[in-house]
Amino acid sequence: MDIGFSPEEMRFREQCRDWLHANIPAEIRPLDAADAIDFDKHWQRQLFDAGWAGINWPTDYGGRGLSIVQQVIWLEEYAKAHAPWIGANFVGINHGGPTLILNASEEQKAFHLPQILKGEAIWCQGFSEPGAGSDLAGIQTRGRIDGDELVINGSKIWTSFAHVADWQELVLRTEDGSRRHAGLSWVICDMHAPGITIRPIRKMSGQTEFAEVFYDDVRIPLNNVVGGLGNGWKVAMSTLSFERGTGFIADQVKQSEEIAELISKARANGMINNDHIADQLAQMRAEVAALRAMTYRNISEVVRTGQPGPEASIIRLFTAELGQRLERMAVLLLGEVILDFAYGDDNAVHDYLRGFASTIAGGTAQIQRDIIGERLLGLPKSR
Amino acid sequence: MDLTPDEDQMALQTATNDWCRAHMPLAEARSRPEGLWQQLEMMGWVGMTAPAMDLDHPTEALVFAELGRFLAPVALLSSAVAARWTKFDGKVALALAGTDNIRLFDSHNATHALGLFDANIGSVNIDADCETRRSLDLSTSIAHLQSNPPVETINDPRAALHLQLLVAAFSVGCADAARDMAADYATLRQQFDRPIGWFQSLKHICSDMAVRAAVARSQLYYAACALQAGESDAAFHVTAAKRLADQAALDNGRANIQVHGGIGMTDEASPHLCLKRAHLLQFLAPAESRILLAVSP
Repeated sequence: MDIGFSPEEMRFREQCRDWLHANIPAEIRPLDAADAIDFDKHWQRQLFDAGWAGINWPTDYGGRGLSIVQQVIWLEEYAKAHAPWIGANFVGINHGGPTLILNASEEQKAFHLPQILKGEAIWCQGFSEPGAGSDLAGIQTRGRIDGDELVINGSKIWTSFAHVADWQELVLRTEDGSRRHAGLSWVICDMHAPGITIRPIRKMSGQTEFAEVFYDDVRIPLNNVVGGLGNGWKVAMSTLSFERGTGFIADQVKQSEEIAELISKARANGMINNDHIADQLAQMRAEVAALRAMTYRNISEVVRTGQPGPEASIIRLFTAELGQRLERMAVLLLGEVILDFAYGDDNAVHDYLRGFASTIAGGTAQIQRDIIGERLLGLPKSR
Repeated sequence: MDLTPDEDQMALQTATNDWCRAHMPLAEARSRPEGLWQQLEMMGWVGMTAPAMDLDHPTEALVFAELGRFLAPVALLSSAVAARWTKFDGKVALALAGTDNIRLFDSHNATHALGLFDANIGSVNIDADCETRRSLDLSTSIAHLQSNPPVETINDPRAALHLQLLVAAFSVGCADAARDMAADYATLRQQFDRPIGWFQSLKHICSDMAVRAAVARSQLYYAACALQAGESDAAFHVTAAKRLADQAALDNGRANIQVHGGIGMTDEASPHLCLKRAHLLQFLAPAESRILLAVSP
């Protein structure tokens, strides 16, 4: 075991740092998805042109074909440099793209992956429904096969970036009378197709970033099914396991920046003299260090075996809850200034309100605890 | 960068675990048999940290976490640091310098004891007529050194970090043991016609135990590597590892008792052994908040 990086990796880190230093936009990323879309696309294109998009994606589809360790180094430097969030490109880069790499046909990959890397195509995720949240297998949106097309009816909800997206990773029921995990398919849905209605939803932090999506006889070519008809659950799980494994590295690095800033703030305003606050800060400093260690362990596991270890679900839960504790501390240090906040300001209060999503989206903390108990500890399945 | 054990390290981990399971079961920690120390010496668990053995800190951490999982004698900790940093070999008792006096653990047949004195590792002579009793941690005897003995200190700060790292490894093992005991019981014990681990209220207690153990173990590995490489922030990482490992051992120790219900409160069942061990380890080379809050770790 060692925590050192090779000379080649250290040179790569230098290159990342230098480029970021010279190229981070001076302009602040707007908060509403609709206002930010041009910014997001332009920034992604800039990353692609400089060779920083898809660092560990295959070269055949526009990636750099480098190692996952180099991808981690890039994300570490990216967070340290306070580079803007990739915003609307998040789903394509972190969910859609990796799922296509694992499951899609050559034709699908050749068409979609370069567009994702270049920021030309925005993706959104269509998993949750009003009746299928934590119980994702309860999906009711239907795709009826008609010749070489699927005719889609139903609705999805909590779909981030739906109103600015070009494509959707849509999981729906394609077998009549099928139940639970069987009979689902993972489909690339054209968000500009006739019959799609999008109702944006505003978050309590003020920005409009997700939406409800309605499908009324939407026609999608059968060719857009990924991984074969009826295999949707398996394909969807490959995305989620990715998300639980390596999809959150940027957040993890950001937290180490945040804890250092919180300690400085507490020192500056004297609140560090409160033993309770000092103890919590010390605790979170240790936890943030451990989170990096856990991430490195998981990455080492990927390098060794080709996939994230079973502890990836622990990282996902721990990152989310630690992030919320950091956000709560930031608000505590602000004091009554929190009351001056209404909507729209990108600051600690905004992050605190927005952060409630991290133990809900992509599987609630309760579902994550079920997974840890059942898959890691072998406890009986409750569902 | 690689934070997973290699094949040799995994083999050593497995061998340690196998030996402990066969010769030093956790349940016997309530009263360790005479002669266990001789067995430990014969098998090489004592003295393996001597400079000539050239054992690196990450490997050491892996082995001590396995020993700690079976609540191995705490004199293994002091003897390991002594073998690396002092002229003593063989059994060296563990010293805990308190405000009133010095507490000695596992002092049977030992002529010296080693522990932290202020910030440094130090050793003291043990009086021949030192009276021993059972400790809260039933696996070890406790004695009080009444006098104010001369302390021979080692001024190298790495010696203190070495002890802190090994204690953290013991705590990580202790946290693992409590987690596994709870998960096993939650799978076996039936109520309402099903294993109690089926219920989310119990399952999630166990899941949180798994989170704490994984967090502590990861930081232990990182700290061991940082100490081995002589990184400038090694003290920060070892301190963080100790803090998280102590917490994991204590919190898992308590949670394990709750998962066991009535039997968990008894002397005959094993959960209390893990909790009591965690309380002993928390006082050894404790993690200082000051180091965790320093401007540049």
